[in-house]
Amino acid sequence: MGGCAVPTFQRARSPMGEQMTDSATVDDRELAVREAAARVGADPGQSRVAAALLAELIRDEAAGEGVDTFSSSVRLAHEQGLLSDETAAFVAAHAAELDALVDDTADDRFEYFGLRTVYDRYLLRHPHTRKVIERPQHFLMRVACGLSDTVDEAARLYELMSRLEYLPSSPTLFNSGARRPQLSSCFLLDSPRDELESIYERYGQVARLSKYAGGIGISWSRIRSRGSLIRGTNGTSNGIVPWLRTLDASVAAVNQGGRRKGAACVYLEPWHADVEEFLELRDNTGEDQRRTHNLNLANWIPDEFMRRVEADADWSLFDPKEVPELTDLWGEEFDAAYRRAEAEGRYVRQVPARRLYGRMMRTLAQTGNGWMTFKDAANRTCNQTAEPGNVVHLSNLCTEILEVTGDTETAVCNLGSVNLACHVTPDGFDFAKLRDTVRVAVRFLDRTIDRGYYPTPEAAATNAKWRPIGLGVMGLADVFFTLRLPFDSPEALELSTAIAEEIALTAYNTSADLAEELGAHPAFGQTRAARGVLHPDHFPAAHRKPAEWNALRRRVAEVGLRNSLLVAIAPTATIASIAGCYECIEPQVSNVFKRETLSGEFLQINRYLVADLRAVGKWTQQIRDAIKRGGGSIQHIPGLDDELKRLYRTAWEIPQKALIDLAAARTPYVDQSQSLNLFMATPTIGKLSSMYAYAWKAGLKTTYYLRSRPATSIAQTTVAATAPAVTVGDTADDTAVTACSLENPEICEACQ
Amino acid sequence: MTLLDPGMDLTLRPMRYPGFYERFRAAIRNTWTVEEVDLASDLPDLDKLTPDEMHLVRRLVAFFATGDSIVANNLVLNLYKHVNAPEARLYLSRQLFEEAVHVQFYLTLLDTYLKEDEERRQAFAAIEHIPSIRQKAEFCFKWIDSISQLDELDTAEQRRAFLLNLICFAACIEGLFFYGAFAYVYWLRSRGLLNGLASGTNWVFRDESMHMEFAFSVVDTVRAEEPELFDDELTAQVTEMLEEAVAAELAFAHDLCGDGLPGMSATDMRAYLEYVADQRLTRLGMPRRYGTANPFAFMELQDVQELSNFFERRVSAYQVGIEGSVSFDEDF
Repeated sequence: MGGCAVPTFQRARSPMGEQMTDSATVDDRELAVREAAARVGADPGQSRVAAALLAELIRDEAAGEGVDTFSSSVRLAHEQGLLSDETAAFVAAHAAELDALVDDTADDRFEYFGLRTVYDRYLLRHPHTRKVIERPQHFLMRVACGLSDTVDEAARLYELMSRLEYLPSSPTLFNSGARRPQLSSCFLLDSPRDELESIYERYGQVARLSKYAGGIGISWSRIRSRGSLIRGTNGTSNGIVPWLRTLDASVAAVNQGGRRKGAACVYLEPWHADVEEFLELRDNTGEDQRRTHNLNLANWIPDEFMRRVEADADWSLFDPKEVPELTDLWGEEFDAAYRRAEAEGRYVRQVPARRLYGRMMRTLAQTGNGWMTFKDAANRTCNQTAEPGNVVHLSNLCTEILEVTGDTETAVCNLGSVNLACHVTPDGFDFAKLRDTVRVAVRFLDRTIDRGYYPTPEAAATNAKWRPIGLGVMGLADVFFTLRLPFDSPEALELSTAIAEEIALTAYNTSADLAEELGAHPAFGQTRAARGVLHPDHFPAAHRKPAEWNALRRRVAEVGLRNSLLVAIAPTATIASIAGCYECIEPQVSNVFKRETLSGEFLQINRYLVADLRAVGKWTQQIRDAIKRGGGSIQHIPGLDDELKRLYRTAWEIPQKALIDLAAARTPYVDQSQSLNLFMATPTIGKLSSMYAYAWKAGLKTTYYLRSRPATSIAQTTVAATAPAVTVGDTADDTAVTACSLENPEICEACQ
Repeated sequence: MTLLDPGMDLTLRPMRYPGFYERFRAAIRNTWTVEEVDLASDLPDLDKLTPDEMHLVRRLVAFFATGDSIVANNLVLNLYKHVNAPEARLYLSRQLFEEAVHVQFYLTLLDTYLKEDEERRQAFAAIEHIPSIRQKAEFCFKWIDSISQLDELDTAEQRRAFLLNLICFAACIEGLFFYGAFAYVYWLRSRGLLNGLASGTNWVFRDESMHMEFAFSVVDTVRAEEPELFDDELTAQVTEMLEEAVAAELAFAHDLCGDGLPGMSATDMRAYLEYVADQRLTRLGMPRRYGTANPFAFMELQDVQELSNFFERRVSAYQVGIEGSVSFDEDF
């Protein structure tokens, strides 16, 4: 990976050589691209060959539509109604300068999968011919122009993106410069009020927000539980499940411009009396009438619940219609209200807290869903919750956004991520370059707030008031590979934390600069920052650079901040693919894996490992087969040295405690949150309950998917078959033939 | 007592073949349902196919329509009867359920892809009317019939006949006919087409792989218990059987591919089938027959772990059947 590290890449010869003439049909050329891509498994260098071939194909396809320069691309897209008058006018006014800035050789920085993703999903297409009408570099320049007031600004942002040093989130890449430029990634909707009209109003908001590629988080904690009396009809409620089924269908029906389906995550507090049915919504067994196959699920957990779990105490479940006050309280006030309602016997029923917690763990293991997110940690440290009534009620679709919501306040966040892989060399991490990148990134994220189109007035008003942004990172694993730091080494922890602090300091300083130029955000007076408290101040041990933070605090007191929140670590699934780096803060999942996307499957291989193996003459067919047979692991391969094995462990082989420790050390510098996936090949309730209790105690605000592995797997087709074990006499041992496949964790005891 | 001794053994403790029981448990953890597969998203792709590609897809659907039912029939009529260990029969019961899910999946596929009742009827009639499908079906029926009259495996000859049936369904039908069909599905997906079919196929593929592995582990067990059954003649018979299966599947490939499609031709398919047949022989401890290399790079992808995000297709990697109880001091 590390697409930016090789700027002087030579354009590769086409594998079809001289046959590859103009007379070759598009189908043949497309086939040549795919064939080169298919050879990546043996030779990662083929990825660049395939990318170069694809770049040629794209250039010719665009030329066929009459596009040869950036300005001609914008002109055509505008004529076809795809781009806004403002963007078209800006480009027309500066056509020569902008055309000169476009650097087509920058395409050489793409790996195949990155360019394929750009081609399949990001490039503008002619509405009728469906052919692309921009080249990859036109696309990046168009995104830059959609966010710029001057050519210099556009040049700066374009430069950053074309070097893959920073990329804004997908909605911004899709829509910047468009007629309806919906640039925001996430929307957080408060729970509907406990009434029919409010529920249907929320469905409408969800649909409108989904349409333009936004991900939805929505709470459902205010809706009455099953069996609750409905006064208007003297009937009883069926609880939250039927409503969530409707939401499920609605979300699936929204097709985001053909690019992806809508997606939403529902948050519920675990005192809600329907929580057990909620946890079953994603099961693939049981009555389908009570299942939601598209919705994601998250638990919004107060500390009181975790304390009861620890103490092995009972937990009371309430009907929000009878006990409406819990939703808007957190911390000690929540604890007091909860105990009061309990003492007054207002619960629907009580369950052992550990039984419910165990049920949550089971849901995580079976579906990966039912994310554990912590209400009190989220509120206690949030810059927006200084005043009573301003409450964080949920996180978002990817659990990295924590913002205040209300009945008429839909929280919004605009995201972008720094590619850390471009800020490191084997000699060390380049903090000065990181600061430069962050300064530009924050300015353009702030700009997206003003340039964005908001599908609902609730979202527009809230975003204008708080102006939150979410600057994140990708490629942390690339940094560790480049510097040869194992994920669980003290050096990795130190560097990761230093990077997080540097990003936060620079981002806050830039936001203060912006406040000085343009004014603080309108709700600044309601923030903790206005009271002299910055995010790291909630973590006493966290001041690694006290002088810098003190200076910043003085500056904020003087000029305020342009943004109420600045840092959020999003999953970066798609933009990391474009940039050719590992996702956000994640370890590698496997040394070899395939990506399944809407445009097919692609092999991804750890090129750092390949380079290391090549250096010692060990990148052989046998080793390749062994890696595949090992499910992407190298731990079982004889003859590799221990340092190599330690560095190239996969997420399944790194202690998860280390991932949590890295996340916890980073938390003081992440004023929103992080999309932290956890990995366990063969989860058990005992291991999971220990792990999530540790995460809570470590002060994490949110966690994301639990990743586990299939219990059985396919017989590998392209790896040489193994003959039956010679000593089959012991029939109890007859599973030996599949031994060491980590894809068969239950069968395989060999590596555990 | 050996695995193929006639009878109705009911004893699970002590358990003679715990490996079979573990396979049964692992299979349960991988339960999936047809409702989880989104086939509707394939409909726009069908409109994009060329007539030749559409022909291929229709033939595939027709093969799938009856393929798993045939396998299920042999399981009930021939396998369950003779594998005399309750833990092995547990696995076979589970396999039967999985075959039923596959039948349901392919029925749903057929109903989704083919809109006219007449087309649907034709698809099921394919084993009568379409020569390339009929040839494969006749191969299957011949081997079902080969031991249908056997009530007990008393002699070495009868046990060899049983082994041939078992190996036929594992190596030739699930392990070759289905693997051939899956290759077309993944070829389509390598071109970004019919992702719904491919995602359901991932799950079917995983199940079929396990069925095959179970059958081979039965073969391993019998070999350990009664090595004298495995003589040169058996090897010759198995090799001949695989040759016949390759020929039948190749005729199917000629029907599907015609003069060749971009990235897929009967010539490539022949090499792939020979390669797969060699894999099966190697697994059975028998010499390779062909020595052909795999021509399909896209099949390499099927060996590797998937990484999806939820904006795209559903992750098929989660487990059911999780054990243990809440505690706070376990390693993670």
